[in-house]
Amino acid sequence: MANETNNSSDKELVGLLAQFDDPTSLLAACNNAREAGYTKMDAYTPFPVHGIDPALGIKRSFLPFIVLAVALGAVVLGLGMQFYTNGGGIGDWSTDEAAIFPGYRFMISGKPYFSLPANIPVTFEVIVLSSAFATFFGMWIINRLPRLSNPLHRVSRFKRVTNDKFFLMLEAKDDKFDASDSEAHLNQWGAVAIEEVNQDLTDTKLPSWMAPAALIGALLLLIPPVAIFSVYGSTNRKPRLHVVPDMDWQHKFKTQVLSPNIAEKDDPVYLFENRRAMRQPVEGSVRFGSLEDDSEMFRGIKKEFSGQAATVGLKSNVLASTAVQEEENPDQWITGFPEGFKVNEDTLARGKQRFEIYCSVCHGYAGNGDGLVNQRAIALAANGKASWTAAKSLHDPTVTDSVKNPTGRIYDTITNGRNTMGPYRDQIPVEDRWAIVAYVKALQATGITAPGAEATESEAEEAGEPEADESAEPAAETTEPEAEASEADDADTE
Amino acid sequence: MATTVDPKQLNNTLDDPAERSPLVLGGLDYEGVTDTAAAVWDAERPPMVWWVLLLIALSLLGLLGACVNHLLMAGTGVWGNNNPVYWGWPIVNFVFWVGIGHAGTLISAILFLFRQNWRTSINRAAEAMTIFAVVCAGLFPGVHIGRVWVFYWLFPIPTEHLAMWPNFRSPLLWDVFAVSTYATVSLLFWYMGMVPDIATFRDRTRSKIGKFIYGILSLGWTGSSRAWHHYEIAYTILAALATPLVLSVHTIVSFDFAVSQLPGWHTTIFPPYFVAGAIFSGFAMVVTLLVPARKLCGLENLITIRHLENMNKIIMATGMMVGMAYGIEFFMAWYSGVEFEQFALSNRAFGNYAWAYWIMVSCNVLAPQVFWFKWCRTTPWFMVIVCIFVNIGMWFERFVITITSLSRDFVPSSWSYFHPTWVDISMLVGSFGLFFTLFLLFCRFMPIIAMAEVKSIMPVEDGHH
Repeated sequence: MANETNNSSDKELVGLLAQFDDPTSLLAACNNAREAGYTKMDAYTPFPVHGIDPALGIKRSFLPFIVLAVALGAVVLGLGMQFYTNGGGIGDWSTDEAAIFPGYRFMISGKPYFSLPANIPVTFEVIVLSSAFATFFGMWIINRLPRLSNPLHRVSRFKRVTNDKFFLMLEAKDDKFDASDSEAHLNQWGAVAIEEVNQDLTDTKLPSWMAPAALIGALLLLIPPVAIFSVYGSTNRKPRLHVVPDMDWQHKFKTQVLSPNIAEKDDPVYLFENRRAMRQPVEGSVRFGSLEDDSEMFRGIKKEFSGQAATVGLKSNVLASTAVQEEENPDQWITGFPEGFKVNEDTLARGKQRFEIYCSVCHGYAGNGDGLVNQRAIALAANGKASWTAAKSLHDPTVTDSVKNPTGRIYDTITNGRNTMGPYRDQIPVEDRWAIVAYVKALQATGITAPGAEATESEAEEAGEPEADESAEPAAETTEPEAEASEADDADTE
Repeated sequence: MATTVDPKQLNNTLDDPAERSPLVLGGLDYEGVTDTAAAVWDAERPPMVWWVLLLIALSLLGLLGACVNHLLMAGTGVWGNNNPVYWGWPIVNFVFWVGIGHAGTLISAILFLFRQNWRTSINRAAEAMTIFAVVCAGLFPGVHIGRVWVFYWLFPIPTEHLAMWPNFRSPLLWDVFAVSTYATVSLLFWYMGMVPDIATFRDRTRSKIGKFIYGILSLGWTGSSRAWHHYEIAYTILAALATPLVLSVHTIVSFDFAVSQLPGWHTTIFPPYFVAGAIFSGFAMVVTLLVPARKLCGLENLITIRHLENMNKIIMATGMMVGMAYGIEFFMAWYSGVEFEQFALSNRAFGNYAWAYWIMVSCNVLAPQVFWFKWCRTTPWFMVIVCIFVNIGMWFERFVITITSLSRDFVPSSWSYFHPTWVDISMLVGSFGLFFTLFLLFCRFMPIIAMAEVKSIMPVEDGHH
């Protein structure tokens, strides 16, 4: 019966393959083989035949336990991934450097960083995906598939196994196996045909060229990662290569620049008529928080003199100060403090602190006009290296005179500057300016007369006398913006 | 196997309590099943009609490719999505295709667990349809992200560029996980089910290339009983995994809407309502595809009228569930006492999109009611027409949900009417090209019937044939 036999020595008998035409006779043969004591055998069928597992003595698959283990691992994986990436973390993320799994916290709609209900869907999907992979790959691994070479496929009759025929193979490895005995058995059990299955050992050897070819291939495969790592590890002065530049470079105009000619012709067209690249506020518009409608608070001017709404913010420093001074009416200044400002210990302390930051550099800590900048500038001026109008002592009678120089005017001096002193409205907030005014009044109330007051004044006369008219000397080459021309001030108020 | 067909036996739709109705007709034996199922694959060259259909499908696919290219070059502004309808046709098409993609896994997994043997003839084609529908579905959110070249930002992969992680509390991210898991598991399930049948092709083919390709794909399958044992366990486990998965996917798709705060979207009924709708539309698509396919491939003895009748019964049942959900939406709107919700629902039925709403209701609720009549659910050409109506209706369902709620949001000043562009329309049409191209190639080159499974449910006959 056994056709296709080849007795050459390089063939090894794998087993005897018996063909059956229907599942019932195959099942009977399997039962008979098992009763006859065969253990190493297998049936091959076009579809799973009911009842063949006990007939062949196949034990129940342990695949479900593999899948269960993977699924349990996936619970940890899924939750852990979300716990890490969305920054649940252990420990205080913002301050504690030892925080574990710090991740990247998103504050979204005030939701908790880690909330189980919201993390269930993804965890579920991770479990299903991992379990499906475990099932799929686990099944093939248990079945020792894929297998690219199998002696069974060399039996032409075996091609019907995926169509309509049923086969039983008794393997040669079985202790009970004996070529002639087993063949007799199979015949007895109703086999339609019996064939020997041989493995051709020469077929299983690799061709000689394959090993060096594989080696060369493996070496060639190493080149791309090595190239990538060498570039990654070296420095380069050229900009990074951008395959897709995303939004790194865009056509745009930066703020505060002139618009270039956007017409592609000689006749120029600019983004806006005034050639700016950005819009200016609409005339009369007021920025949030900039509605300065309380003239006592914001300008130190009594309400009845407030006149037009201040638009100080839009004027340049120099223009603003001259404008105010041109309109100046000695009666317009408030003599006390605005309603919105309370003089108390806190505001005085605040005023002292701000005064020492902003004012003392010229006016000195005690207001004597002997600040360090002032001293240095006078020294330089003496050598002819700078032109300097000495800072005024705050204890000077023209300053302390509360009729000539009421609190509103001091506030205005700080805000808009006066003579050679620059404006401080951009540096010091309104409340702080009033706090400084309060502190200046407190300093004056101490009654100190500056020890060097006379000297300062005489020096000032030397240096500042020629420029008595303040409108003619807008910050003339002053090295410091903060300087007060005492003489000019006097002339102005009298 | 030239067995003469007993005309009496062709009608297997009668239920005789004394006898199980046969699922394989024409007196086919095992070999006959193989020959019938592989007829199109065996043929020297495919029939002319296959070429014609493939040509049409390929030209639509080309249209899709051109549109996607245009979209990527020009940006998502080429769509009609605009204030206030930021989710236009792309999400409608996405949900439509994902919904269709649910029938395959439902037939393979849920009916398998319920031991519904009639699933065996149709599950392969339905699974293939699932995979192809999910491909079409994935396309739309895929290109909707604008910069598709950084699509990997959707996944929790550490990137130097972004230096941050996805937000795991967002339904849109759940969607990424759900749909990609679904696509992967469906693919594994489909492929694993196909391996024994690919092995059949491997053993049948006469061409060298065929031997090589099918040989690789069949992984050396021999039909060993030990392999079958593990294989059947694995198949059961995958079915048990796919069953909750298929329910979770459309649930999560519905969360995209239900978790938001928009009237008409923010309802707890959405998950079951969406799942019923998905099964409904998926089964309708299976019938639409299989009726012509069984005719062209000569599969009338395997995909019998009884199979189609069972499908139509499910279509009618799920259609009524969907209809009930439409009704419950109105009840919920009234019962909640929320005037915005009430406005959204009354606007849906009687507002400026009433035409779409009533197309939806007539196609989804009224059309399947004809399946109460036996003639309607056993006449192939008629059921295809009804199922095409169901498909149209289900597309409009997603359209109605998405567009009506967005076009009438909380601020009347931003109300507007949605206008699709030619790109919107071409991409919807083109996605059918992608779907049919894949399906036609599948019919020609892959086992369209799960031969091994069909053989396993055939009654075991004594002796030989």
